[in-house]
Amino acid sequence: MTKIDFVFPLANGLHARPASLLQEICLGFDAHVRFRNRRSRRRADAGSVLELVASGTAAGDPCVLEVSGPQEAKAARSLCEFLESGLLQADDGPPPASPPRETGWLPPVFRAGARKLLRGQGLSSGSGRGVVVPLKHPRSLPKNYAAGRKDAAEERRLFRSALEKAQGELRLQAAGAPDGVAAAVMKAHLSILCDPGFGRQVEDLITGENLAAGKAIARTAAAFSGALRRSPSAYMRERAGDLEDIAAQLGEKLFGPAKPKAPPSLRSPGVVVAAALSPSELLGLERRNLRGLILGQVGFTSHAAILARSLAIPAVSLPPAQLAGIAYGVEVIVDGRRGLAIVSPGTELKRYYRLEQPAAEMRRQRLARLTRRPATTRDKVRVEIAANIGTPAELAGAWRNAAEGIGLFRSEFLFLGREAPPSEEEQLAAYLQAARSAKGATVIVRTLDVGGDKTLPYLHLGREENPYLGFRAVRFYAEQSGLIRCQLRALLRAARLGRLKIMVPMVTTTEEVRLVRRLLTEAAGELRQRRVRHAPAVDLGIMVETPAAALSLDALGREADFFSIGSNDLLQYFLAVDRGNARLADLYDPLHPAFLRLLSQAAGQARRARRWLGLCGEMAGRVEYLPLLVGLGFNGLSMAPDLIPGIKARLGQLDGGECRALLRRCLRCAEAADVARRLREFNGRGSGAGVIAAELVRLGSKSRTPSEAIKELCSLLERSGRVENGMELEEAVWKREETYATDLGFGFALPHAKAAGVRQASIAFLRSGRPIRWSAAGTPVRCVLLIAVPERAQGEEHLKLIARLSRRLMHEEFRRRLLAAKDAAAVVSLVNGCLRSAL
Amino acid sequence: MKIVAVTACPTGIAHTYMAAERLQEAARQLGHSIQVETQGAMGIENELRADTIADADVAVFAADIAVQKRERFAGKKIVEVGVQEAIKRPEGVFAHLEK
Repeated sequence: MTKIDFVFPLANGLHARPASLLQEICLGFDAHVRFRNRRSRRRADAGSVLELVASGTAAGDPCVLEVSGPQEAKAARSLCEFLESGLLQADDGPPPASPPRETGWLPPVFRAGARKLLRGQGLSSGSGRGVVVPLKHPRSLPKNYAAGRKDAAEERRLFRSALEKAQGELRLQAAGAPDGVAAAVMKAHLSILCDPGFGRQVEDLITGENLAAGKAIARTAAAFSGALRRSPSAYMRERAGDLEDIAAQLGEKLFGPAKPKAPPSLRSPGVVVAAALSPSELLGLERRNLRGLILGQVGFTSHAAILARSLAIPAVSLPPAQLAGIAYGVEVIVDGRRGLAIVSPGTELKRYYRLEQPAAEMRRQRLARLTRRPATTRDKVRVEIAANIGTPAELAGAWRNAAEGIGLFRSEFLFLGREAPPSEEEQLAAYLQAARSAKGATVIVRTLDVGGDKTLPYLHLGREENPYLGFRAVRFYAEQSGLIRCQLRALLRAARLGRLKIMVPMVTTTEEVRLVRRLLTEAAGELRQRRVRHAPAVDLGIMVETPAAALSLDALGREADFFSIGSNDLLQYFLAVDRGNARLADLYDPLHPAFLRLLSQAAGQARRARRWLGLCGEMAGRVEYLPLLVGLGFNGLSMAPDLIPGIKARLGQLDGGECRALLRRCLRCAEAADVARRLREFNGRGSGAGVIAAELVRLGSKSRTPSEAIKELCSLLERSGRVENGMELEEAVWKREETYATDLGFGFALPHAKAAGVRQASIAFLRSGRPIRWSAAGTPVRCVLLIAVPERAQGEEHLKLIARLSRRLMHEEFRRRLLAAKDAAAVVSLVNGCLRSAL
Repeated sequence: MKIVAVTACPTGIAHTYMAAERLQEAARQLGHSIQVETQGAMGIENELRADTIADADVAVFAADIAVQKRERFAGKKIVEVGVQEAIKRPEGVFAHLEK
């Protein structure tokens, strides 16, 4: 027997993804692999995902793999390699999502209003109001198992047929799931049902302990879910609910549905209250009238919560005692952000929440608006905004964030952490998944980019003295032409069903591009010979990441169809700075004027060669650099999916001409600090002029109280995208208000705060139809100006403007004009006018 | 009368400047000469010079937080009011001085 000792490295513990990778390797050999956690003393068959996950292994646990059997040595070698490389990349499975920050603070309106305020944990943000609808749990294992049966073979047969039926049903549900998140939840359930450890244990209990199938299932599920509940990771503990859901589904297959399943009727706006909710139950609810969920002990990363977030249903979880106290048929407000349920809210609270409700809705609409429109600057300069991804699992996030395409699909995930290269079919499946989900949008797949520091056991590339300057990427394509032709064949086949493009990494010479083109022709020839259908032609581009390539785009343009600058590597090769070296961090600066000149030359050459030019490095996702990239004339920018909405929003504010002028000034700078200063000034000015906008002005507001007015203005700011979280701003404004009220005594109030979630210093304004009583001592207020400043103010430009506005408010003439302004535009021009004028 | 003043409020975003503006305006109307230093989110602005302070008849602090570099005013007659009072009744602040 071979023993491999290791310390478990992943922060999220041994969850489903690393477990399934480990299982895959073990099943590939004729060997038996046992996993043992020396801390928890639990053991698992490394071929069973469920047993591995149930071992409750956390980061830092000392573990051992015990390998035996005919292929012991081979399996052990493969496992060692996996522990060193593949495993380390396996932690992107569960979202390390954390519940929203809750301070427990509530605005003053709560102190008066609620009959009953229940505090729990927010699961899915947003708020909704409706009548409480109960969900009686239709699914639970019938108590009277088919006990007493002696025929173990018959019980095993019953179990297997129930298992197959449940698997088939889940496959169908996964295929028809409303979105990627729901499909992933179904697939997770499916993987448990297909797990060898689960089936084996049920059958062992039937045979060994003479149990009826139903009882064996219940006991197996209880054993695994018990192990999960003891796990130190909250994520794993919440998987226990999945197992119980699965046991119930199997029970149904054994005995038929426990009751005719009637989801509660939601003919009018309702809030569903349930101790627990399975994904299938949640999906079975009539969503049109579902306003919120109040659940029992359900964790933030449980599948019910994940689904609620993905379907934008407000949800909270409450302690059991509080849950039991909610009567059916009463009205309730669910506040998923604050983690509150408000039973029988008073009029004031209802008015208050009416102001909140639209915010989430508007944010979705705003995102949808951005999705539909191709991204452009204010003056219609087109820049495609796409996503960088590393696995097909990230596709859903890309589309959710309104990516216009995939600008960089790294293909290494197919090749890493395994013993032999992936087959053509296996690659085809992944590329097809991307091509199909793109629905006609472009997907740029980068061909294999390993070598140097990232090695593959089956490539035998040898050790490198200097990996970054070594035998990597396109440089080994000639030597490994079989492997690359296989990848190109898969890409050519997938390109038949979508707009796939191929991008070659680390090019320095035109000959390298010609080589890949030859390989592509050969690959197509091989497919023709095999009579396999494929795209007749695919665009072949290069990833520009060496200075040599960047300065020969004219020549390369004769060989390649498009270019994409990989700014991370290009910058480190250009500056001769290792970007991983913390002591050189200051030197690794994309604003070095020489780097801008390099980009500018490259862009000029690409333009003259009439080739599409994109950028897919980290630089693309930084809002502050965007004016320079627009000035350089990039046709496309590709970045991590979650950065897309911010970049699109900023792009819409920029003017192409101004950006080009800024670039010209920056190209003349002597050092990076000068460029940074000009850029800061430019960014400050751009948004400074826009501290107020028509969408931030509300005339004829119906707000009656300071609570409502502040809420209304915070919502306006959140809706506009200037403030991340209106609630946090609201809290900060109220904290300031509580030191002393900010009414000024001329019918004006000036609530203000610095808060973390403020993206850009902003002023929102409302004029109320009727006077608001702001403070006990003060006179009634008609106009409210709310000032929101980022916690770490970038530059003092905004603060200066706001100081100037505050001074101007002391002048009666200015106040009179604000009181008389006939529309939002008039308010905006009054405020902007006073910001521009010298004092 | 020659007056020097310092304004300062907790967040330093708005009230500091409103108070400064009101004090300047009211002083002008009453025929006093005044210089106002603001201590806000942007730090100290229009910082009072030592000779200006030495020259002044009186110093007014309209502040809800501790005034920075207070030692500059050692030995000076100081009138302290809240920021709100300076905003709402600046004339009242100067009425103190006459006494």
